[in-house]
Amino acid sequence: MEIVKTFGEYVEKWSGPAPERARKLLKTGWEAQYLKLKLRPDKRLLPSDQYAARMMMDTMLKPLKDPSHSALVSIFTPCEMLHEAGLHPYNVEAFSCFLNGSRAERVFLQQAENEGLSETLCSYHKTFIGAADRGVMPRPRCIVYTSLACDANLLTFSRLGEKFQVPVFAIDVPFHGDKDSVAYVEEQLIRLKGFLEEVSGKKIPEESLKERLARSRRTLRNYRRYQKERASRYVPADLVTPLYSGMTNNILLGTEAEERYTRMLLRDIKKAGPARGKRIYWMHTIPFWSEAVRNELCFSENAQIVGCELAQTFRGDFDPESPYEAMAKRLVYHSLNGNASRRIENGIRCAREAGADGAVWFNHWGCKHTLGIAQLAKKKFEEEGIPLLLLDGDGCDRSHGGEGQTATRLGAFLEMLGGETHE
Amino acid sequence: MNKTYYICKYTPVELLTALGGDCGILNTMPRGFELAEQIAHPNICGFGKTLLEAVLEGQVKELVLVNCCDTIRSVCDVLEDSGKLDFLYMLDILHSSGACSRERTAAQLKGLARAYSAYKGTAFDPEKFREAFRRPERIKGPHLKVLGARMGEELFSMVQKLMPLPVENASCVNNRSVGSLMPPEERDFDRLMDWYAGELLCQPPCMRMMDHAGRKQLYNDPDLKGIVYHTVKFCDFYSFEYADIKEHTDVPLLKIESDYTLQSSGQLMTRLEAFAETITPEETVGKEIKMGKGYFAGIDSGSTSTDVVILDKEKNMIAGIVLPTGAGAAVGAERALEEALKEAGLHREDIDALVTTGYGRTAIQAGDKSITEITCHAKGAHHLDPDVRTVVDIGGQDSKVIRIDENGAVENFVMNDKCAAGTGRFLEMMARTMEMDLDDMSETGLTYKEDITISSMCTVFAESEVVSLIAQNKETDDIVHGLNKAVATKTAALAKRVGGQEKYMMTGGVSKNKGLVKTLEEKLGTSLVIHKDAQLCGALGAALFALEMTDTRA
Repeated sequence: MEIVKTFGEYVEKWSGPAPERARKLLKTGWEAQYLKLKLRPDKRLLPSDQYAARMMMDTMLKPLKDPSHSALVSIFTPCEMLHEAGLHPYNVEAFSCFLNGSRAERVFLQQAENEGLSETLCSYHKTFIGAADRGVMPRPRCIVYTSLACDANLLTFSRLGEKFQVPVFAIDVPFHGDKDSVAYVEEQLIRLKGFLEEVSGKKIPEESLKERLARSRRTLRNYRRYQKERASRYVPADLVTPLYSGMTNNILLGTEAEERYTRMLLRDIKKAGPARGKRIYWMHTIPFWSEAVRNELCFSENAQIVGCELAQTFRGDFDPESPYEAMAKRLVYHSLNGNASRRIENGIRCAREAGADGAVWFNHWGCKHTLGIAQLAKKKFEEEGIPLLLLDGDGCDRSHGGEGQTATRLGAFLEMLGGETHE
Repeated sequence: MNKTYYICKYTPVELLTALGGDCGILNTMPRGFELAEQIAHPNICGFGKTLLEAVLEGQVKELVLVNCCDTIRSVCDVLEDSGKLDFLYMLDILHSSGACSRERTAAQLKGLARAYSAYKGTAFDPEKFREAFRRPERIKGPHLKVLGARMGEELFSMVQKLMPLPVENASCVNNRSVGSLMPPEERDFDRLMDWYAGELLCQPPCMRMMDHAGRKQLYNDPDLKGIVYHTVKFCDFYSFEYADIKEHTDVPLLKIESDYTLQSSGQLMTRLEAFAETITPEETVGKEIKMGKGYFAGIDSGSTSTDVVILDKEKNMIAGIVLPTGAGAAVGAERALEEALKEAGLHREDIDALVTTGYGRTAIQAGDKSITEITCHAKGAHHLDPDVRTVVDIGGQDSKVIRIDENGAVENFVMNDKCAAGTGRFLEMMARTMEMDLDDMSETGLTYKEDITISSMCTVFAESEVVSLIAQNKETDDIVHGLNKAVATKTAALAKRVGGQEKYMMTGGVSKNKGLVKTLEEKLGTSLVIHKDAQLCGALGAALFALEMTDTRA
């Protein structure tokens, strides 16, 4: 831990005065981590989840190694066309997460606040903006984002577009879920194809895109099947794997690597032991840095996270033969779009399928949507017989503190649910 | 008849009126959020909670919302679930204003018209529709503008009262510009709605629109003499615009933040008054009093201490007193003034003019004039060292950074948010936790070994962090240095926000804390001028104003 701390301190220290050096250090550190994941993976995890950790690290490294073939994206941007155009997804939220994991976030958060951005802005956005302004984040080829799920997208990406002076494509997703909305988004996605072809200089073949969408469909189905089969099994879980699933199931959707991951999951789950301990379904992001959460839920047989909302945001079906409509449907009928009831009902269904005993609604500081409907969610989950803990905190900013409170709330919730050591 | 309330400028008010509605903006600030916080999380924007409060109190029965932001969308869900409204509708306004968007907006308008006319039992009246269009009134000639997040009526009235020029409320819903054009003589409802959708969308864009470059028209105005930029706690949209405007405008700019309740007005009043003083500095210096014996006093009534300075007509300081404020500002001021008179060997009647400043300035009846501590600190600092361009004042209740020009006039200033982090109170609380007094604390952090970071910015959480560091047997020096670093980081951030320039001077009681001064110097990358009279700076400035308001030729 001390090595990581020192590493983070140097990344922070060199950012600003020597940003190239800071970026190089970051890249070297993450390359070393990739090597570690390859040579000495965490054997406590299922082989599939070990693979996911490597795949995620590789996804993070690509934009650092080759920024000119990377497109900066928000987490729910459909990335199939980017992959077709040979552009790596360079995801803001994931980078902030990894900066936090490298203990290099405080200076970046402070930088953004120094410039006048509000302290209530989501820390995933603030960390990245600060890191970009301090010169650590490389300039991408272009930016593609959606208005979906989070207001901060509307602000962060246009600001970054000005900062990096690169072309920006915004996908506007209407609130109401109907045919007209799908058509409106579909039209934008067709234009996005032209945009990506122009910035990358690479044609996106229609047939290949259809095949990719078919792969996306298989991947989502595999993952859902895995979550259902998981209901009767014990899967050793840390706090980051559910987040990796959330990230890769979005930005790597349609890639062979992600499909392989879900196939491995289906293979591994058959060999997993019977379910034990209390099973928690997690809504919104996970504060993986928190000692208090780690103590209760990391590789614990008493209680573990059995799924995360971010990895299961679309339940419907789509036709890969109509690729633009397919991607548009995923956005319009996304569980975080539209009325609160859609998100809450999706959470309840997913929690049930994964055999959860209870759920945590993580009130990530700065996420207005999550905070706004928290009480409503509690009421609805509990009406459906799933106890729900509203847990305040921050997924990406240690300075929010309150570790004592987190430990007490989470501990008491698990005691309330009962369990081997929580009877 | 119930009023139909709306909150957003994209609301088709004219359409609702044509369907028989009596529409009004919901924009009043509540006293608190007692009811709202029973059904929503406290950390959502104050305006969202205002909406909940108004509905739960039964003030609002009909509400037309727009999917403005995550908070409003959530509030709509919560309100729908509450079942407290007779009519609730949310329009899905897209984030772009292109042709497709216009088409979809027209469809949305027709959807609303159907729902509203079914609820009211009325039909669309084209005449009423035309009559509802009114040209928005704009102020001509020199004026100030409120920009940013919506400002409640009560706060806006206070701004109007305090500012020396007329003020236009151009924040959020208040910059609605529909009405500049009259509707065409068109009888076909669908075509009329298509035209109307275009009118709604071509207003100066809201920050939630993907392309908000058109907002520049709100502040590119040669008659604009100052901007009060308002943000609401937990609304992030406007901090982005503020960050941009502050870099690109020459117009005096004040940023204030409210939580949309009436309570926060006290602290905002000081900022607004100080801003008004920067716009008309000459008004604070009138030769109003004839000179008598040639002695002038300034009283700075702070939350922790009350300071008094007496000057003679040559600007020599003949008395300087610092006393604890105690229970009441007026009593504390009276006591400190008596002490100062005693020190100077004078009587009350020997003082020709008295200016009061500081948090308790308005409570003191004895003064001839009251001026904010921001203007007084600038004046005092300039007198102590004319080369100073930035004043850092960490007080008991708040901390501020003031940028001054070569004459000692305020160019710009910022104050900390409504939070103790980064103030003298923070250090006091931490000293208490560590069972030491402030003098000990001043020396303790100077020689540290381990560079501890107190990561919690919140005073309450920082305190528990300190307790756990003590439990880990960390060295006291290291912990105190960590605390100094926390305050210095917060203060350096304020300095950056105001565009601080050398030389820096630090005033206020916290300037005696050597450990903090050293850490702040490191953060700022420059040295701080600490004058021996640093703590008296505000009172000194006030006494200088007292002297200037007196006609010394007499």
